[in-house]
Amino acid sequence: MQISIRNITKQFDRFPALGGVSLEIGSGELVALLGPSGSGKTTLLRSIAGLEHPSSGQILFDGEDVSNLSVGERRIGFAFQSYALFRHMTVLNNVGFGLKVRPRKTRPSRAEIRERALELLDLVQLGGLENRFPSQLSGGQRQRVALARALAIEPRVLLLDEPFGALDAKVRKELRRWLRQLHDRLGLTTIFVTHDQEEALELADRVVVMNKGEIEQAGPPVEVYDDPATAFVSEFLGTVNTFQTTLSDGIAEVLGTDFPVADADIGEGPQRRHGPAIAYVRTHEIELLSRERAEGIPAIVRAVFPFGGSVRVELAVEGYDTPIQAEVPRAFFEAGEVRVNSGLFVRATNARVFPQYN
Amino acid sequence: MANLFGRVPIGLRSAVNEGAFTRLTLILIAVVFLALFLIMPLILVFVEALRQGAGAYFEALKDPDALSAMRLTLTVAVIAVPFNIVFGLAASWAIAKFDFRGKNLLISLIDLPFSVSPVISGLVWVLLFGSHSVLSPWLQAHDIQILFALPGLVLATMFVTFPFVARELIPLMQEQGTTDEEAALSLGASGLQTFWHVTLPNVRWALVYGVLLCTARAIGEFGAVSVVSGHIRGQTNTMPLHVEILYNEYSFVGAFAVASVLALLALVTLGIKAVLEWRYGNQLASGHRR
Repeated sequence: MQISIRNITKQFDRFPALGGVSLEIGSGELVALLGPSGSGKTTLLRSIAGLEHPSSGQILFDGEDVSNLSVGERRIGFAFQSYALFRHMTVLNNVGFGLKVRPRKTRPSRAEIRERALELLDLVQLGGLENRFPSQLSGGQRQRVALARALAIEPRVLLLDEPFGALDAKVRKELRRWLRQLHDRLGLTTIFVTHDQEEALELADRVVVMNKGEIEQAGPPVEVYDDPATAFVSEFLGTVNTFQTTLSDGIAEVLGTDFPVADADIGEGPQRRHGPAIAYVRTHEIELLSRERAEGIPAIVRAVFPFGGSVRVELAVEGYDTPIQAEVPRAFFEAGEVRVNSGLFVRATNARVFPQYN
Repeated sequence: MANLFGRVPIGLRSAVNEGAFTRLTLILIAVVFLALFLIMPLILVFVEALRQGAGAYFEALKDPDALSAMRLTLTVAVIAVPFNIVFGLAASWAIAKFDFRGKNLLISLIDLPFSVSPVISGLVWVLLFGSHSVLSPWLQAHDIQILFALPGLVLATMFVTFPFVARELIPLMQEQGTTDEEAALSLGASGLQTFWHVTLPNVRWALVYGVLLCTARAIGEFGAVSVVSGHIRGQTNTMPLHVEILYNEYSFVGAFAVASVLALLALVTLGIKAVLEWRYGNQLASGHRR
């Protein structure tokens, strides 16, 4: 199902949670709403569900205005961060709940409800656990019961609030992969909220980055990652070094190399080409050069974290107050160039430069 | 100062632990107090009731006035408690699940009967329905008897006992929040279905607990009921009032026999309460409060 969000605003007591958000979500798309806490991502999700009523704006499902429909009438599947399983019901009754409460005319028979619930439990790989109570399940299992329960009502869209938030790192990764497969199999339009960029980038077809109740950028993961539209997105995605610099005729110098200002149009008229600017350089965009080459800017290694495929290095560079973080290939580290207190040269291979307006 | 502190072996015991002597003294005080003020009177009730033998004891219980007092007490409880269940559920539902103006005022009002003297709780109804009240002519014209009759007793009892259910449910419902209800609604359940299948089962043991306390108080209430009862023997005397009358007439066996029934009811209540706390303690609001 296709979803159109048109200029949604939401006020909580005087504090605006959403300030005019518009978004189109295509049928069968898997979309991540990504942002820090307080960015309005959960409010947006709850507004789509009908759990929250926007102060103004419209929400359309397949062209039909659902703004005035209650949550029950919208036929959405919602998975809560805390799972919200009914603790006094077995797993089977939890999953069958949505069918059991249907009006008599459309309610399937008891046997049909049971059969359908068992099918769904198989789908979420929990066959055999139907007689357990939620308290007897692990976090990952609870989350899957919550998903099966949401799917039981044959929802038009699946809405997930921090679906993996309460799980440990390993289960989180497994469940993430599993959810992707499930989505591909069911083809259901799915929107999930997360504050974990890795989760959003790896799982979603499209990432919507939110900040302060507004959408900063919406696009495929590679696009938002490689081509951040705003300073906020640059800083929020990936691990970045931040540099204060100065624009002169649209060019800024970062670690001895010149970079052009990002050509983002943020709807505030033409970009400024002179004056203070801020530059973002990802850790893997910092190149370390051995002494002999003598390019770039001299730096001293302060700390080395040789864990994983790439090695994280902390460097002190003259003229920069905060240490610079770099990520270099393991081979470079094993060649013996990088040791604490050894001198090197650093260079930025890429930088995103934004004029500073405040 | 340094040598003064130096004598205390600080590293050997936890900061909040007291010496053996202090501990023993505190425990002893508590035990002696309990024995003197709670267990002794309870034993005395049964001793006095059985002073002239079991025959006299059961004879006293079979007295028509005593039986009528028991019947009336149960009738009052059976009417007042369901009303308070409905009120308690409605109030705690409203307070825990919705935000509205005057919420704190409502919470304070629910506690009012706890802070008001029971005599006042009774007197309110006398002022409202008594022969000098505004309503009196109308009530007389329609031949409605409220004071010195069952309605007055029920009203007074309800007033005194209405915090029990609400008090038990509010903290638990507030702690549980509204996500379970949101989940039910998102699955297409109606408001009523959500209440029956989700909200009520979530608080069922706390509700049973609250009803138990409410019933115990409804049966044992003396002050408020005394004001509105009129003390008509065999008609408007509840058990606690009947005990008083018999005692004032020096009918000690009768007084203590009826009192022993009240005491037994209290013990049964205590037993059920203990079982509930032991079995479902984690689902009771009072478990967190204590």
